[in-house]
Amino acid sequence: MGIVGVTFLDGVRRVNRAPAILIGVWLLTCAVTLPLALAMRAMIVEHLGSSLAADAAANGVNYEWMQEFADQATGIGVTFKPTIIGFAAVVDNMSAFMDNSSRPIVIVCAGGAYIALWIFLAGGIIDRYARDRALHAHGFFAACGVFFFRFLRLAVVQWLVYAFLFGAMHGWLFDRLYARMTRDVTSERTAFFARVALYLVFGVLVAGCNLVFDYTKVRAVVEDRRSMLGAVNAALQFIQRNYAAAVALYALDFAAFLAVIAAYAMVAPSAGGAGAMVWAAFTIGQLYVLARLWVKLVFWSSETALFQQRLAHAGYVARPEPTWPDSPAAESIS
Amino acid sequence: MRGAFVAILSIVQGATPAAAQGIITPPLSPRNASYTITARLDPSTHTIAASETLVWRNISTTTATELRFHLYWNAWRNNRSTYMRESRLGGTPPNEDADNTSDAERSRIDVTSIRLAAPFAADLTAAQHFIAPDDDNESDQTVMAVPLPRPIGAGQSATIEIAWTAHVPRAIARTGVVGHFYFIAQWFPKLGVLQDDGWNCHQFHSSTEFFADYGSYDVSLTVPRGWIVGATGVERERRDEGGNATVHRYYQDDVHDFAWTTSPDYVERVELFEHPTLPRVTMRLLLQPEHAVQADRHFAATRATLQYYGEWFGAYPYDHITIVDPAYHSRAGGMEYPTLFTAGTRWLAPSGVVTPEEVTVHEAGHQWWYGMVGSNEFEDAWLDEGFNQFSTARAVAAAYAPHYYSRRYFGGFVPYVFSDIVLSREVDDNDWSAYAAAARRDVQSTPSYRYFPTSAGGITYAKTALWLNTMERWLGWPLLQRIMSTYFARWKFAHPSPHDFFDTATAVAGRDLGWFFDQVYRSSNAFDYGIDDLSSVDDGGEQRTTVVVRRYGEAIFPIDVRVTFANGEQVTEHWEGRDRWKAYVYTRAAAAQSAEADPGHVLLLDVNRTNNSRSLAPRAPDAGAKWSTIWLVWLEDCVLSWASLA
Repeated sequence: MGIVGVTFLDGVRRVNRAPAILIGVWLLTCAVTLPLALAMRAMIVEHLGSSLAADAAANGVNYEWMQEFADQATGIGVTFKPTIIGFAAVVDNMSAFMDNSSRPIVIVCAGGAYIALWIFLAGGIIDRYARDRALHAHGFFAACGVFFFRFLRLAVVQWLVYAFLFGAMHGWLFDRLYARMTRDVTSERTAFFARVALYLVFGVLVAGCNLVFDYTKVRAVVEDRRSMLGAVNAALQFIQRNYAAAVALYALDFAAFLAVIAAYAMVAPSAGGAGAMVWAAFTIGQLYVLARLWVKLVFWSSETALFQQRLAHAGYVARPEPTWPDSPAAESIS
Repeated sequence: MRGAFVAILSIVQGATPAAAQGIITPPLSPRNASYTITARLDPSTHTIAASETLVWRNISTTTATELRFHLYWNAWRNNRSTYMRESRLGGTPPNEDADNTSDAERSRIDVTSIRLAAPFAADLTAAQHFIAPDDDNESDQTVMAVPLPRPIGAGQSATIEIAWTAHVPRAIARTGVVGHFYFIAQWFPKLGVLQDDGWNCHQFHSSTEFFADYGSYDVSLTVPRGWIVGATGVERERRDEGGNATVHRYYQDDVHDFAWTTSPDYVERVELFEHPTLPRVTMRLLLQPEHAVQADRHFAATRATLQYYGEWFGAYPYDHITIVDPAYHSRAGGMEYPTLFTAGTRWLAPSGVVTPEEVTVHEAGHQWWYGMVGSNEFEDAWLDEGFNQFSTARAVAAAYAPHYYSRRYFGGFVPYVFSDIVLSREVDDNDWSAYAAAARRDVQSTPSYRYFPTSAGGITYAKTALWLNTMERWLGWPLLQRIMSTYFARWKFAHPSPHDFFDTATAVAGRDLGWFFDQVYRSSNAFDYGIDDLSSVDDGGEQRTTVVVRRYGEAIFPIDVRVTFANGEQVTEHWEGRDRWKAYVYTRAAAAQSAEADPGHVLLLDVNRTNNSRSLAPRAPDAGAKWSTIWLVWLEDCVLSWASLA
């Protein structure tokens, strides 16, 4: 097994040795999304009232009622469409991501809050994986606190970059360039491949930026950097010097992401059941979310591991052990 | 090669030589507007140079003092036409880059000469001018009026010779060119319809289609050699000319329009429709190469149409039909022309999702509702589109059950099939959702071209399909089938008005249906019945059940009310539905379990069906829990996608 494979497995091991982090981010995901799900539940219950339509909706898919609900819905209700069912949910979100589709403002706000929480936790998570030993809650949150404002500054840079990518660049690629490329194309297959090519271009750009920002965080934590622009520069240097390994590792991490997606495609539940089947479907859905979170953590842990292997931070201490001066009593003792 | 092809066609058709030539004897229609057209396409400049000889007979009771012609292609000459203004009003430009279309890509049609050859000779070229009878839009050039030096009285005929040039637009609204694909429709100066109250010759509107008299079309088309041509009618002759061009001559009797297409890329297939009681029809399919594997799907859908429409309404009288699979980006999909229609499939078209079949059935079905029954699509678009939506849904339900909901992702390319959502004829194929959204926005009796652009579809297609389907569930299919087939028989190759259908329906049903047509045709009132209250209380050892059914909407329709008791007993009441509410009280040993208004779903026009029932053991909490957990996973996945950037 090559160095990249070893590093990837090292990353996996580090994540698996810290299950509390995985559980914690899953709870965090639930905490952000559950209030909206409860609001959606209230909307559904109110719309169904005591109608017999609820029986069909509870036992299977009452598409007739779903249309009626969606036609009258506002806010988050407009997202209640068949596309939420099973694996379609994943396809819908991936498609929306790649096509830069808009979502209701409430969903965007929830997503913003979720990202803010990840920014807060990032320092603690990377610190934990870098140390590769238990820090307990106070150590974890202390690191979160130390790096939160630094990563908040980094988030401004990230926001500018991603706003450019998803705003100007996406618009240029898919609204202008794609339209120009396919204007006189009379074969849908050709147009499709043109779009796939642009997805690849856009995906590589996003992944490249993501890679740089990942190593920025890793270097900021491992080297206790305060300047985020300096950390970005350091990340670029690291990637430049370790290009093959960094890219290969990122590709391996991405393959893990695809494996999770593929696995969920095979087991994703339909919406046909009732009673225990509903909770079984919910459990499978949450296992999928856990797997997605696990992959996200593996990205960070494996990148941390690679960095530590390559830049002599194997004996990582995020901050030197404090060396306290002697007590004045020391003189009298001596 | 060509001779062999014709010979094969003749063998598979077993047709008479006349039929194989597009000739129909005796005439099926008045044939009072017949065209002989010669046109040459120049692909290098995207232009057509053409001339036509129109033989017109005045079959109205009025005297013509002028002639009025449609010049449809001027609708896309600039952005000031009525068509373009209406498109913007509806927020749906017909072409996503309409605003960026260069002058070289716009269409235009210019009449260079118009001359009366009979009953007297006169050059009318200088007298031509544009009028805008619908909206006085001075910038609209889609209707040309030509005063006559002497009037043409009832029963008299005239021969008019016209020469014109036209520029083929970049593909827009089922017309134009993209790459080497040409679809040429509404392309020649076309006479309006002279009725007893004068000319019926509307401007081109964004949400309505066409209206013309029947006749014979003899059209010679010159296109580059080797290019495949599809057109209304039958190809009578093909000869090569100098300069690498080929002349294709098509002929057809008893049609009211002529469209054609040409491209070097078509894949051509021919199959035969045979049926124990219906005439044989040769089906010619012109496919895009990337859809070659879908040939059978197109033939099967066309076959289903010829069978079901033929059995239900009347036989298809022509011995041929041409199915055109338009090129990607051509905006030519899903449109009907006499003996020719455009289908609409996709490169990725999974089985179980019958969109290609639905489009094919719908457009083939227009041969009945539009082609043969020639109602006025400007004013009564619902008479053909709505009838055909209903007929399509019925045929698709008969031929393609079950079929499933699907959505397309990633730029609209990648289909995803939801195998647990079986689409229903009543709700989905009739497009209930479009109707519900537009129910109160326009009165159906309003001339269709005056519908608000965004509500036109819901009123024209969906509302009509739903009220016809409601009639089917209310009166029974045998009676509705008799009504529709009688209407078809009485009005084929003629121009019926809505009242002709209403009168036919009332006569065949043998009862007054006017009150129903008042509701659905002459009003924008919505139907909405519901159970307002359901309760059971102990009353001296027995259960006293009260059911209140309410009419929430303005429209009226008699409905059944069904009450189900806990012991399984059911009581069905009939309510005329005229009052705002009606209460039913029962004293039974068992308490009520549920109550339903219109339990048989007869009234498909009800805009809110969730309130049609009530249960004393409601399961909304169960449904809410189930669907909110499903939605939760979608939401988690959504925010996780964004967080991957954090």
